[in-house]
This record gives sequence, C-alpha cells and structure tokens, in this order.
Amino acid sequence: MAKYLKKEKLKEIKRLGNEPLLLLTIVFIILFTSCFVIWPVVRLIALARPSEFLVLFTNSRWARSLANSLFMMVISTVSCTVTAFIFAYTITRLDVPLKRFFRFITLLPIVSPPFVVALSYILLFGVQGIITKGLFGLHVDVYGVFGLWVVQTVTFFPYAFSIIIGVMGKISTNLEYAAYNMGASRWQVFKDVFWPLCRPGVAGGVLMAAINVLTDFGNPIMIGGDLALLPTEAYMQIVGWYDMKTAAILASALMVPSFIIFILNRFWVGRRSYVTVTGKEISLTPFKPHFLVKWGLFTFCSIMSAFVLLVYGSLFIGAFTRAWGYDWSFTMANMGYVWEKFREVWNSIKYAALSSILASLLAMVLAYIVQKKSVGINKFLDFLAVLPSAVPGMFLGLGFVIAFNTPPLKLTGTGLIMVLALMFWNLPTCYSASIAGIQQIGESVEDAALNLGADSFQSFKDVILPLLRIPFLSGFVLSFLRSVTCLSVIIFIYSPRTTVGTASILGLVSNGLWGAAAAFTVVLISIAFSVLLLTNRFLRKHGGSLNL
Amino acid sequence: MYDSSKPFIEFKNVTKTFDSFKALDNITLTIPQGCFMTLLGPSGCGKTTLMRQLAGFSEPDSGDIYIKGIRVNGLPPYKRNTPLVFQEYALFPHMTVKENITYGLKLKNTDKESVGRRFDEMLKMFNLAGMEQRFPKQLSGGQQQRVAFARALIMGQEVLLLDEPLSNLDAKLRVEVRTELRQIQRKLGITTIYVTHDQDEALSMSDLIAVMRAGKIEQVGTPWQIYFKPENRFVADFVGTVNFMDVVISGLFEDRLLINWQGSAISMNRMDYVLNPGEEASLIVRPEYISLRPAANNESADQENSLRGEILFYSFLGRFIRYWIKVKNQTFIVDDSNPSLSGAIEGEVIIALDRNKLHLLRNSKS
Repeated sequence: MAKYLKKEKLKEIKRLGNEPLLLLTIVFIILFTSCFVIWPVVRLIALARPSEFLVLFTNSRWARSLANSLFMMVISTVSCTVTAFIFAYTITRLDVPLKRFFRFITLLPIVSPPFVVALSYILLFGVQGIITKGLFGLHVDVYGVFGLWVVQTVTFFPYAFSIIIGVMGKISTNLEYAAYNMGASRWQVFKDVFWPLCRPGVAGGVLMAAINVLTDFGNPIMIGGDLALLPTEAYMQIVGWYDMKTAAILASALMVPSFIIFILNRFWVGRRSYVTVTGKEISLTPFKPHFLVKWGLFTFCSIMSAFVLLVYGSLFIGAFTRAWGYDWSFTMANMGYVWEKFREVWNSIKYAALSSILASLLAMVLAYIVQKKSVGINKFLDFLAVLPSAVPGMFLGLGFVIAFNTPPLKLTGTGLIMVLALMFWNLPTCYSASIAGIQQIGESVEDAALNLGADSFQSFKDVILPLLRIPFLSGFVLSFLRSVTCLSVIIFIYSPRTTVGTASILGLVSNGLWGAAAAFTVVLISIAFSVLLLTNRFLRKHGGSLNL
Repeated sequence: MYDSSKPFIEFKNVTKTFDSFKALDNITLTIPQGCFMTLLGPSGCGKTTLMRQLAGFSEPDSGDIYIKGIRVNGLPPYKRNTPLVFQEYALFPHMTVKENITYGLKLKNTDKESVGRRFDEMLKMFNLAGMEQRFPKQLSGGQQQRVAFARALIMGQEVLLLDEPLSNLDAKLRVEVRTELRQIQRKLGITTIYVTHDQDEALSMSDLIAVMRAGKIEQVGTPWQIYFKPENRFVADFVGTVNFMDVVISGLFEDRLLINWQGSAISMNRMDYVLNPGEEASLIVRPEYISLRPAANNESADQENSLRGEILFYSFLGRFIRYWIKVKNQTFIVDDSNPSLSGAIEGEVIIALDRNKLHLLRNSKS
C-alpha cells in the first residue's frame, strides 16, 4: 500500500512535465522559501559547533536564562489560558452586559506593538507611576518576574482567546441540553460534555500562548529588569558584545521548544480541532449557570478589561504629557517629535505594506496549489508554507543577519532585507487565510468552469481569484498589523536608514524618554486600528469578516 | 425517441482504480444518439466516476472513450464540450444569474447578439425572467438548479451530463422537475447521461438504464426490461421491492412452466426460458402482483398459484397498504393497491401470484 502510494506520487510529479508553468512556479517557490527560511535557520544553528551548545548548561548565566524562560513560559501560559477561557466562556455562554466591549478589549493587544503593556505598566506602577507613586506614594520595583508575568498575561491572553472562542463558539448548546435531559447537573454537564469539547481549543490556546510568551522580546527587554531570559540575553550579546556566536546559541535554545510546540500544534491539536460537530442545527440559548458563577465571571472580565483600558489610557495621556510623574501639563511636543521622525513611521507602513502584499500573493499561489492541484509534494509545500511559524521572530531576524551579510546575497542594511524578513515571517498567517478561503469554494466550482470551456488559467482568473478577494484582503491586513507592530524580527536587521517605529520606541524607552515613546506607540496603534476598522467596514459590506 | 443504430458515446473496456480501489472495472457501454441513459446504482458503484471520465475530470487507467466516433482520452475537460450539471450545482457565487449562464459562451467568444438571443431562450425555457441580476445565494434551491440547467444547455451541445441534479430538491419539486426535464430533453433531442441512485427517477425518465454495482455494469435495458426482466438478483432487488422464492423446475410445457415451491405448485408463462426440469431457480415476484383476500375458516388454497398465509404486520401508505405475510417459512411483502376504507385486513389470508408477471432467474446467474 505504502509502496503503491509512493508510485502514485511519482506519477503525479512526472505529470507536471505537461504543465510547465505550474512546475516553474513550484520550483520557484521551493527555492525562494528555502533561501529565506531554511537557509537563515541552518546558518544560524551551524554558527556554533555542536559541543559549544553545552554552555547552555555549563555557563550558569545561560542555564539560568534557559530555566527562567521556561519558568515564565509556564506561569504566563497558565494565566493567559485561564483568562482567555473565562473571556471566551463569558462571551459565548453568559447573558451579561458589556459583551461587545469585552470582545473589543481582546482585540486591542493584537493591534498593538508587543511592548505596549510593559511600557504602560511602567507608567502606571513604575518609579514615577501614577498609581504607585501618585496614589499611594510608594516606591516599588516593578521590574522582574511579577511585573513581567502580569504584563505577559495581559499581552498574550487575547491570542489564546481567539483560538478558544473559535472552538467554543462552535459547540452546540443542544449537546448540553441533551445531557441535562438525561439528568446531569450543571457541574456534570460542564465536566462531562462542555469541557471535553473545549479541550482541543484550550490545547491550541495553551500552545499559542506558550510560543508567544517564550519568544517574547519586547516586554522582557522593557520590564524584565535583572531577570535573564533567552531572547533578551541573545540581544544583549549582540548589542553589547557583538558576540554573534553566543547569541546564536541562545537563540537556538529557543528554537527547540518553539519547534516542539509547532509540531504539537500541527499534528496533535490541528487534527483534533476539526472534530467539532458541523452542519446546520438550531442551537438553543445556553442554559443559565448559577448566578454566583455568572456574576463572578462577569466581574473578572470587567476588572481585566478595566486594567487593559487603564493601560491604553495612560499611554494616551502619556503621549500628551510634558514629563510623566513630574509635570502633568498638556503638550504636543511628543507628537511633534514623532512628526520629526515621520520617516520612521513611513518606513513602518512601507515595509509592512510591501511585505504583506508579497506574503499574501505567495500564500495564495501556494494555497491554491496545495489544495487544488495534485503535484505529488502537496504535503511538503504545505509544510514549507507554515514552517516560518516554528521560527521565533528574533531567530529569523538573527538568521537573516548571518545569512545575508556577504555576497552573493548581501542584503544587510537594505530595505529589501526588512521586506523579505517580514514577508516570510507573515507567510503562515496569510497562508492560513488563503487556505480557509479556498476550502470555502465548492468542490466542483472549478470543475464547472473547466466543463464550460475555461482552461486552467482562465478558471483561476475568472473563478478562483475573484472568490479569494476577501481571504486575500484579510490575510493582507492581518499581516500588515503584525508587521507594523513587529519588533522581534527587525531588531537585528534595521539600519539607521531603514529604522522603523517599533525600533525607535525601544530606543526611546531605554533612554527614559517615556513621553516620546508613548506618542510613537499611540501613532502606531492609531495606524493599525484605522486599517483594522476600514477593512472591517469594507468586509462587512461584502459579506465577509476578519478572522483575527 | 432515439436512434439505436447511431452510437454517440462509447466506453470501451474502461478501468479506473483509486489507490487499490477499483472504481471502474472494464466498463463497456454504448449510448445511442438522442438517448436518455441513466446510470443507476448504490453510492460507490462508480456511476459518477464513469461520468467524470467522460467529462475529462480524470483519466481512465485503461480503455477508450469515444464521443461521436472520436477518441477523447487525454483531451482536457475544457475541450470536450460535455456540459455537466453538478449535484451541488456549482454556480459561481460571485457572478449573477446572467453571468453564470453566459460564462461558457463568453469563453468561446460568441458574438453579443447571439449570446443575448440564446440567453433569452434559456430564461424562457427555465422560467427565470426577472432574476438576471441576482446572485446565486439570493435564489431558492429550485431556482439555483434551473440556473445550473440553463448554464449547461445554453452551450447548445449535443450532449448533456447530469450528476444527481435533483438530490438537493424536496420530494415534491423533484417529481415536478423530472417531468419537465424529460420534456425538454425530448424536445431538444439531446443525448443525456443521468447519474442517480433513485430508482423512481431512473424508471420515470430514462430511455435506457444501466444498473451498476462495484465498478461493473450489471444490466443495460429499458425501464421495462429492468423492472420486469432483471437479469440477476442484484438488479431485481435494487430496482423496486421484490420477493425472492427459491424454487425447483418441475415441468416444462408448450405454453407454461410448472414449478415447485416448498411443495406447492406454481405455474407461469413459458416464455423463452432455457431451463431443465429439476433445476433450482429464483422466482421473482413484485409485491404489487400478488393479490390477497381474507381466508374463510377452513378454506384451503386450491385455486391456481394460491397460497394460504397469515398477516404479521402492515403499513398504510395512502395509495396502498403494504402487508408482511407469513407463508410456510417465508415472509412475503404484498402491496394492496386498493385499500378498503374500513382499514387493513387481519389474520389468515389467501394470496395469489399473477402468472403473467412472474420472472425466473437461473441460479447460476446470480
């Protein structure tokens, strides 16, 4: 059987000879992706000899960062998942006010640069914090494990949330009623029916939160303080000591858990999450839970949301305040500063737009080939398209620095390297949007076009392309938002000429220029949010929606 | 209706395997010009696969396919001129009704005037006037289906392929559409291949039916042949409801056959069966050709082809009552098409088999 399948694949590959355009496209995609994903990764890992990786365990500082990184990953993932689960449950199952507002709160961190919460947390609870110093007159050290834990929870619970609610929203309440009908109590229904059905979503959420926390660079660099973590230590090695090799070793240590999570997500969770019942059935309104449970969860969501609002509010106020903590008078000086540095904002937009267009195009062609053509290596192409999501952003950036600083591909310092890095970092995001779009196209719609006399190219142009407009757009926008707010990928590859908003903010924060940093952040968030709102309005008109 | 001397579509020894599953096993089938040919069979029998080979969506592993005497193997689907109506219609969701229907003509660079004329014809034929600018999702299921027919027929080809096109309609509409469809097909004289698993559709619409099972054709024939003279137990059982009786041939006469079923003599028309006395065979009896009446207390079944039995169960279906009747050690299904107003019969009954409508199968053939 296996031998037979292999023969079938070979036959498919041989048949490609009849379709030179398709063959050429596939060869191009493989070469292109290998060059900008696999090659940088291989170069980075190969930088140090295998025996040199032992320093991760022998050098006490690196061993500690490894342990710290894993520790942070565990505690932040737990808190993110619990928060996400409560939000998802409240929004899908409870009859409480403010649900739309809660939903909005879960969007905010996704359209923001990764260090927003950390920055704001310093403004609120730091040495000059309104709450610590202003309200209570305390002088506390917020830097370190606890601060980072809070900040990462707020930053990353929305990522887990979006996965959990995707699964939870599809669970038919009829199943719960069926259990009640058989005499189960509320707790038994939760334990025996609801929770098992949620499990794939929760597992997906856990992995999503874990990978984000583990590879997070923005928050630890701002608020981690003395806490040594792998991403920040790698950064320090390069910025402080120009020690590429040690940085590579530290970054590679990140790659291992990251890759494990990727594999788990793909082959374990990915397969399970489609078991949910589909089909049209009328769901009854959810069964009312105990009122203590209901209002308890509501209170939790309200407090969390208030905190998120506080975070963004203080950022906004900070942007228009002369000197945070000392002089609260209104000023436009910070905005003026951003205006002076407008080129960096423009760079952000330019690189994000360019890389996202390219990523969406590549993703669409890839998705089309993987889903609709039998080319013998469909599974491999599929793997190639999602592979970048296994590579932490900072690792990819570092890989680019090492792989492309010498001829024939000397790209360091150019705008092109920024675009390429962001493009491949975003490929999986765009790819899954395109795949979802193509899967929605009826099985035989393309056959119908062929049957009426359209050749492969005409049917792609007249049928597939127009039907993919909306998935294309949503892939593009998601990728754009990620790029504008991205720090980890570009932190090693920007040059003075190609610097972008997020990099500047990091610089401003390390110089203690909170006001300007806040103003810069507000501008970036505004751009991201405007794009999000415009797209959502456009999509709603055309019967689509953005799937964050 | 059709000219059986003019083959229009021919399958010759067509075989197709998916992995290790034999979807088509050496199929040979000729479809005459103007014929309404139905491929009938349970799901997985290969009927849709056979049609897809003709439309060019996949290629047979071996064997040849001819349209009008021209071999079409290897020809891509867009060069075969075999318009197909898909089960789920496969309308282009982003095109209006007009754009959907005229898409094929546009690809052929047909001039505007004749596109308009032919489009208007289709609107009239399928009663779609006023919907030109609607999108598929704004139409009802029945309307979508008519758009799908129009999109295929506007091409003006000599052949039309239909892949279970009625299966997404509700029961009543299905009966309406199948009559309409058959009328249109006769008017246009278009050679049609119709794939279905529904025996009513097959019997009511077709000139010829090919019954398929497990990648093979079991029998090709007119609806009458398929229903009254099935060539094997599978065809008999798949088309309609049937009682099988295991019998032994006891006498061959000029005009009649005498057979023995569990000690009772049954006589039937001789026809042209080739049989030997003493041979075992299956007697095929449709439920509607058995009559029944209540049995008087001590009455024995002594008229021709009569048997005494007991009603086990019945089911009232409006136009008839279906009875399950135990005779000796076999349960017969008997349909009484003239139910009494007062209710079903109960208890002991006499059933009689209509000697003109009995059909024998030699056991070696099943």
